[in-house]
Amino acid sequence: MSRASALRLPTWAWSLLGLATVAAAWTLVTNLGWVTETYLPSPQRLGGELLTLLERGYRGAPLHEHIGISLWRTLSGFAVGALLGVPLGLFTGHNRTAGALVAPLVAFLRPIPPIAFIPMAVLYFGLGETGKVVLIAFTAFNYAQLNAHAGAAGVPESYLRAARSMGLSERQIFWRVIVPAAVPQIFTGLKVAMALSWAVVVAAELVGAQRGIGFMISDAAQLFRIPVVFIGIACIGVIGLLLNAALNALQRYLVHWERHA
Amino acid sequence: MQQALKQIDSTPAAKAAPVPPRIEFRAVSKRYGSAGKADSVLAIDGLQLSIAPGEIVSVLGPTGCGKSSALNLIAGFETPSSGAVLVDSRPVTGPGLDRAVVFQQPALFPWLRVIDNVTLGLKCRGAKPADYLDRAHQLLARVGLAHAARRYPYQLSGGMRQRVQIARALLGQPDILLMDEPFGALDYQTRLAMQELLLDLWSEFRPTVLFITHDVGEAVFVADRVVVLGRPGRVKHEVTVPAPKPRDRSFLTKPLFVELQAQLLDAVQREARLGLVSQVPNA
Repeated sequence: MSRASALRLPTWAWSLLGLATVAAAWTLVTNLGWVTETYLPSPQRLGGELLTLLERGYRGAPLHEHIGISLWRTLSGFAVGALLGVPLGLFTGHNRTAGALVAPLVAFLRPIPPIAFIPMAVLYFGLGETGKVVLIAFTAFNYAQLNAHAGAAGVPESYLRAARSMGLSERQIFWRVIVPAAVPQIFTGLKVAMALSWAVVVAAELVGAQRGIGFMISDAAQLFRIPVVFIGIACIGVIGLLLNAALNALQRYLVHWERHA
Repeated sequence: MQQALKQIDSTPAAKAAPVPPRIEFRAVSKRYGSAGKADSVLAIDGLQLSIAPGEIVSVLGPTGCGKSSALNLIAGFETPSSGAVLVDSRPVTGPGLDRAVVFQQPALFPWLRVIDNVTLGLKCRGAKPADYLDRAHQLLARVGLAHAARRYPYQLSGGMRQRVQIARALLGQPDILLMDEPFGALDYQTRLAMQELLLDLWSEFRPTVLFITHDVGEAVFVADRVVVLGRPGRVKHEVTVPAPKPRDRSFLTKPLFVELQAQLLDAVQREARLGLVSQVPNA
């Protein structure tokens, strides 16, 4: 009984404890020499390397430029994919004929990892920016379309009936009922799309890129600059988290009613 | 008009009234799925029912007796498989502004404030806010929600949400109010208050009301006439409730109420049992 009450800490304290434990274990095993520096650099070594990166950049470009170009590729691809996918999904979810028309195609394309299309993207668009952006747009499109479709198709019948009996036209029903009712599901799709877009940019930069976080990681690995690889990985994690948090904040603002559902 | 309504009110056997019925089911059948298929369901079978202008008719019956299907046919959400559904002697071809619906399921739009939910229909039909805003606020006040106009549905209790739905339905000044188990999800106290409110509003607006419910007491309390449907939907039992409206909760203890409630409870249970038996050869 007394033990249980002693452990009654706030949730965030437990989360912090989890992080601290991993950090402590990391410091310990690297500094005691249980793991070679080559495989897992110590925290202080990483810190030093980070300072060097911030000062001198990597391969002729400052760190923020590598991050910036990756973000630009991700966000522009994501924007194109979402701007095409969400309207199409709303339409195919609302219109049964349109839904049936595209259903087999999207069902076939969805399980294919976007990375499998990298060779074709290079063949069609070359090693430049276009191929990478197209690949990310394709990834984002898949999930934006899927979830907008599900959102539009899953609007409760009672909403549609209420709208019809109030005299809304089909067009008004689409814009004033189906679209807002689908917004929560659209956000679910956009968050998955964003996470995957960010993952795909790293893969896309492994091929033919001279800048970007993905390029930095693969290049540093070939040169055996392992601390740089780890810093690149950490950057991906932190930025992924921030992108998701941004979408979460937008969702909380736009879909205020869902928090109480 | 008012005079005619009073006359009907005093003669609940409205079928005999010279006024043509507001709502009429003529030998209506409704089948879901095509006949002969295993999953095909005959929900309504030769339903014959007339409802006079200004009359309140409750429909009782076991689950699956086609109560809601009947309402959906008048609302224009569904079409009959055979027979005719008439409103003011004209066949129903789709939803219309003369018929407003109050749903049991959530039918308020959660992304709109209460006032916007209530006025959405008029707004979409191109009416000017100046022409309906005052009336919308009056109606909200009338259902006791003057203070809640700027709230969102998720900030309201279940009873308040149904009152918003009623205000929304009445704003379009419909001839007919279709209510599909509107108070089914509410607790007893709230339900009773809603039933009283409904009768109050009826005295003011005099709509024809089709009230679907599975609560026998509620059916008697709000109605001029209670109809019991059997499976598949057709009228098996019918009683009139010769008590003046509006009524308050003291009506619940009157001999008339108690007697009718007992009689209808028997009728509904008989239909429920019959339904169970007749399910077997169907399956």
